[in-house]
Amino acid sequence: MLEQIKQWIERRRGGQTGNIAPEKTPNPKVPGDQLLSECRLIVLDLETTGLNASKDEVIAVGAVAINGGAIDLSDQFDLILRRPELDLTETVLIHGIGPEALTQGHETEDALLFLLEWMNGDPVLAYHSAFDQKFLEKTLKAELGYTRNHTWMDVADLLPAFFPDALTGGKGLDHWADFFGLEVSARHHAASDALATAELTLIALNKAHKSGLKTLKELHDKLRYHRRLQSIHGV
Amino acid sequence: MAASNQDNTRPQNTRSIMVFLQAHAPFSNMDDDHLAHFAEHATLRFYADGDVVLAAEDGVVNRFYVVKQGRIRGERHNDKADKTETTFEISIGECFPLAAIVGERPTRTLHRAAGDTFCLSIEQDAFITLISESEPFRDFCLRGVSSLLDQVNQRIQTGAMASMGSSISLSTPLDRYALRNPIVCTPDLPVRKAVARMHENNVGSIVITDDNRHPAGIFTLRDLRTMIAEDTCSLDAPVRQIMTKDPCCLPATADAFAAAMLMAEHHFSHLCLVDENNCLIGMVSERDLFSLQRVDLVSLARTIGTATHLRTLVSLRTDVSRLVDAMLAHGADSGQVVKIITTLNDVTVRRVLELNIKKNDPGIPFTWLTFGSEGRQEQTLLTDQDNGILFQTPDGMTEDQVREKLLPFARVVNDELAECGFTLCKGNIMASNPKLCLSDREWDDWFVRFIDASTPQNLVYSSIFLDMRAIYGPTDSLDELLDKVLTRIQKNALFQKMLAGNAFQRKPPLTMFRNFRYVTDGKKRSLDLKRQGLAPFVESVRVFALANGVKSANTLERMDDLTKAGVFDAKDANAWKDAYSLIQAIRMRSHQEMLERGDELTNYIDPDDLNPLDRRILRESFRQAQRLQQKLEVTYQL
Repeated sequence: MLEQIKQWIERRRGGQTGNIAPEKTPNPKVPGDQLLSECRLIVLDLETTGLNASKDEVIAVGAVAINGGAIDLSDQFDLILRRPELDLTETVLIHGIGPEALTQGHETEDALLFLLEWMNGDPVLAYHSAFDQKFLEKTLKAELGYTRNHTWMDVADLLPAFFPDALTGGKGLDHWADFFGLEVSARHHAASDALATAELTLIALNKAHKSGLKTLKELHDKLRYHRRLQSIHGV
Repeated sequence: MAASNQDNTRPQNTRSIMVFLQAHAPFSNMDDDHLAHFAEHATLRFYADGDVVLAAEDGVVNRFYVVKQGRIRGERHNDKADKTETTFEISIGECFPLAAIVGERPTRTLHRAAGDTFCLSIEQDAFITLISESEPFRDFCLRGVSSLLDQVNQRIQTGAMASMGSSISLSTPLDRYALRNPIVCTPDLPVRKAVARMHENNVGSIVITDDNRHPAGIFTLRDLRTMIAEDTCSLDAPVRQIMTKDPCCLPATADAFAAAMLMAEHHFSHLCLVDENNCLIGMVSERDLFSLQRVDLVSLARTIGTATHLRTLVSLRTDVSRLVDAMLAHGADSGQVVKIITTLNDVTVRRVLELNIKKNDPGIPFTWLTFGSEGRQEQTLLTDQDNGILFQTPDGMTEDQVREKLLPFARVVNDELAECGFTLCKGNIMASNPKLCLSDREWDDWFVRFIDASTPQNLVYSSIFLDMRAIYGPTDSLDELLDKVLTRIQKNALFQKMLAGNAFQRKPPLTMFRNFRYVTDGKKRSLDLKRQGLAPFVESVRVFALANGVKSANTLERMDDLTKAGVFDAKDANAWKDAYSLIQAIRMRSHQEMLERGDELTNYIDPDDLNPLDRRILRESFRQAQRLQQKLEVTYQL
């Protein structure tokens, strides 16, 4: 990963343009007629210092890409951001990232630019995506002044939409992972949680394909419909 | 896991895939760099239950897959039966499709997900890189599962070898051990001169050859000792008077195991090696074969066979277990080891009988029969008695009068065998039972009733009495009896079908989802390797053997004979023999471990105690038992 970023930075800065501007990063894509069986999807998980988006910060970003219906392990993102000034006591226990590992992190700006470049504007999926979206948007705005809207989809909605009768015993990532017998290698590690989320996404996409859902737009609509149903039933 | 977590140069998900791979062969033997290459180039795909993963229509295979979660089922259409058959099962950590990707052709088997399944896969490029750079991976891909079987056997041997410190294999051709140009003499040479020649050459034996260099006899220092002690012959007499005539000969291509078995059975300490014209080319002594061992098969068999007291026989039993260790160390497979144990058990039984005849001769010739696993020559260290007596009623006596003389004798023998470690049979299937001490006519009647009236009890007995062998006394009357029994069974389709139905009841311990089905035994999960693992093979093979007039009782030999008779396909039979032998090997190793710990021997194991390779091979072996039962099902329309 480190090597990749260095190369990328050298490539970008080697050009005459000097520092790249955030607005030069790939345009966010809108759900349209892209085929689910062909398009690229980002599955992402953040580690943060806490749950409060107004005062807590992002520590690490883990993400994998789904390409043409398969998780492509040569196309992944696993990075600790540089946040040495933060008080870590709150989250250090959950994530296992200590101050020492954090200081080995990367220049935040570079890392976030690389993330945007890597994301390539493709739709982003996350478990309880509202949380990750809030944190990522806040960080991108603060560090890069970047405010463009990406398409986000919540895997926590995706699963019950396709498996309404599953007796998971709860709504968490762990519940669904247990339900499908997934083994999560290092829970609460951003990259590892992202992979588990991506595996659940593959299961949902398999079901989507069988129920005739072909395009990204159809999937997006199905999720919106599911959320509306949920709110009507007043849960 | 902890170790690889410290490796922070690789992304977490790459590391976790490497850890996953490391738990399974052949990846467990591969370098980290090669595993990383796999992980970094892998894609992870999901297949729901029943989804097709790979089919012939997909064309030349260009990906190599490893099951990460779930299971893959191989399906082929059987045109004859017009139905789809499962040809194999691939579970967690296993790879596919080996033959197709190596042979650069489409797969011939439909690969379908059995249950929700995730597979890691790499493209052909990455596969080729790994094949060319990683030797363990190359070895595995080119030799397939058979390289795994080798690994299991290797481990059994290294485990046993650790205590032996030797690397000579029993499958080594005798050539390697043989003394070339052994000392020879003519039959007319006086004993004195023959001994002088042995002395000059510092050898313990001399081969007596005729004019054509055919071995005519053998003379050893032991013979000299007996000759002098018992004063049977003069030193000036020609050696032909005292030599052991017609010495045992084997071709040079025979292996050390064959030689050891011959020596053990006949108590020889020397064998001649001959060429295709029966001309002497070498000589093998027991010492050559076992020079590095503390316990040797031949001398143990001889010590048992010449013991003069019961307590000697009892004390020798611990040597048998040490010998099993040694044999495994020397490369004997499980089939060979059970034969060794059976041979030594036979020698023990014979000696107990001989000692009792000396002490208290019942005065009536009899044949000592043995049934069940001993009858099949498939005994392990855990064994109980299943025996009986066959006699011919002397003129002027009734059968009951004969029994009056034989039964007390048999009672003593049964008790003494129990002291030697052959547990008394709980079902009283023993020679001292009046119902099993019968004349040839009575045995014949007994089998007629047995075959005609297929009661449930008779079906239970079938696994005992239909695997029968004589280990002492004349064998002619048993041969005649067996001929009649086989002919009767071959004519009786109903009996065959009932036997088949009974054999079909013994299901291998796999669930519908191909997991192990456990015996409920308190808290611990366990498998009964004998009743659940071996019995399905033994019972099914017995039905085919009896129905097709195969005379041997040994399961592996029965399978060979059935293949020769065209009843079994050679490929199937080999797979079944391998599977059966592997279950037996795992059972024997667990017996040896129990002995080491001083535990009581049982046939139960907890598969969780096995390493992943053994677990996988055990599961595959059970699946082979299912296939054999399917054949039974089709043949007898069960």
